[in-house]
Amino acid sequence: MRSLSIVAEGPGRYISWGVVQISVANLTIIVAMVILFVLALVVPFPSGHGEEADQERRQK
Amino acid sequence: MTTSTGAKSAAETTDPGNWTNRLRGRVEGLVPPGQALPDRQPIYVASWIYVFGVLTLSALAVVILSGCVLAIGGVQWWHASSLGHYVNSVHLWSVELFFGFMVIHLWGKFWMAAWRGKRAMTWISGVLLFGISIGTSFTGFLSQTNFSAQWIAGEGKDGINSTGAGAFFNVLNPGQMLTWHVVLLPLVVVLIVLIHIIQVRRHGVVPPLDADLEG
Amino acid sequence: MTRDRTQDSHDFPTRRYDLVKEFVIALVVVLVASLGLAAIFSSPDEKPITMSAWANADPNNLVTTAASELAGTTTSATYGAPYNANSDGQKLGPIPLQKWGGVRIPINSADLVLGPLSNTSGDPAVSSAVAAWKAAAPEQQTKWATDYVDAIGTAAADGEPATGASGDPAKVATGDYGPVPALSTGLLALAKTGGLEGALDSAGNFYGGDTTKSLLLLADGAYLEDQAVAQNLAGDQWGMMNEVGNAPGQPWMWLYTFWYQIKPFSTSDNADVQVWALMMLLTLLLMFLPFIPGLRTIPRWIPIHRLIWRNYYRRSAGRP
Repeated sequence: MRSLSIVAEGPGRYISWGVVQISVANLTIIVAMVILFVLALVVPFPSGHGEEADQERRQK
Repeated sequence: MTTSTGAKSAAETTDPGNWTNRLRGRVEGLVPPGQALPDRQPIYVASWIYVFGVLTLSALAVVILSGCVLAIGGVQWWHASSLGHYVNSVHLWSVELFFGFMVIHLWGKFWMAAWRGKRAMTWISGVLLFGISIGTSFTGFLSQTNFSAQWIAGEGKDGINSTGAGAFFNVLNPGQMLTWHVVLLPLVVVLIVLIHIIQVRRHGVVPPLDADLEG
Repeated sequence: MTRDRTQDSHDFPTRRYDLVKEFVIALVVVLVASLGLAAIFSSPDEKPITMSAWANADPNNLVTTAASELAGTTTSATYGAPYNANSDGQKLGPIPLQKWGGVRIPINSADLVLGPLSNTSGDPAVSSAVAAWKAAAPEQQTKWATDYVDAIGTAAADGEPATGASGDPAKVATGDYGPVPALSTGLLALAKTGGLEGALDSAGNFYGGDTTKSLLLLADGAYLEDQAVAQNLAGDQWGMMNEVGNAPGQPWMWLYTFWYQIKPFSTSDNADVQVWALMMLLTLLLMFLPFIPGLRTIPRWIPIHRLIWRNYYRRSAGRP
């Protein structure tokens, strides 16, 4: 009898901790976002044009 | 148009009863002169956290672009065509990037208390966009015409039916879900994005907390 | 309310800046990232569960589901609005929100079986079974179908003993089930031909496009749900966040699905409307945060902003 392959992929990898259960894929995304957020806060931002440009007051 | 002396020509009046004049006045008054596309920014805009707004906007552009390509082939295209499947993958990943950047943008704006200085509408339109984007992605998942779509429809219907909205918004009807996903919700998203960006250009980037107490 | 003393941003010193170039760079970065992620990770595409697949993989369940539709005991048969008035549906406290939506998508669950079978004229046994059902009184119909479902019973599971024929229609004890066995096996045969979806969704209007009936019938059975549970997609498995295989799902749904995992929602009959109402409240709190004392002051109490604007604060402190 021909067997039907309905579900092509098996279930993914999951991490459980108490009531929390999360896929490795989702957890990776969330961790990457937190890292990106922290990096955005701490990595120095190049100011580019020096102090003189900063002293200019924009014409209203 | 004006004459060479700068005076108004006969064609341009200041008649307040003229709808065109009133609309022109409103449009011109939305954003301070030169601030729609400024080439200068306040010196306190000096952190990488500031790029997440434009990254979110760019991700939205890629989402819409990849969605348009999917629309060329139609709803079933990606099941049969490897190119179609790749475009679907681009659409999925640009959506993941869109949400990732948007949430980091939200985190940054919260810690900056960016609603200060008459910027409540900017904040409100942003949260609205977050919610509507979730709804838009929901209709997208319902339009996949595969096992995931079947399951999400079956589960989603219980949540929506419980509120009474299921009588009007039938998640088991792919024809309806597709038109919401491709026409109605993107129009609403783009409209609110415009409002959000106009608000930013109108009020400028929020100054640092306690900046007014210094100097 | 404290007077907002935020200065006009246009009063501050400025530096040169290229808005359009920044947007174009961001666009290129996101485009490259999307194209790259798509090339590396692709996207999942699991074939839909067809009626034929269900019929071949779990025929006993399909037969039992068909009989249950006729008995009026399936999830869809007892759902309430928008499909029927056989239940009040979920309530938010005393408010019957589900019922207020109205029965605007009327579905008679017995018709999920009788509709397709009435249209197939090839099998005389099925045609006469349909005629016999329609000629009977409603009480007789319900008795036949309920007795047949009870006779099929369920297999032993989760410490509960088996009932009836342990879920096997072929081993059902003799009894008066009227045309219900013929109707149920007739639906199974139609499902195996691949024609059941079309008979449900496209019959009479050619174009179909609305899969409400097929999805309700599929969801009334166990097969679709079994496949979903195997993939961690069920509601009590944080399923709202998940996707098949190792693909990323909807991580932003984490808070919405969290409530379903804990009491009182995990054991509530009105969990869906309660969780929805709670999430609406939280969304409104987030939306109107600028006006909520205490919440809006959190950024002052936890001064992450001192990191963001450290250059400005340092420069300002140094000014005479």
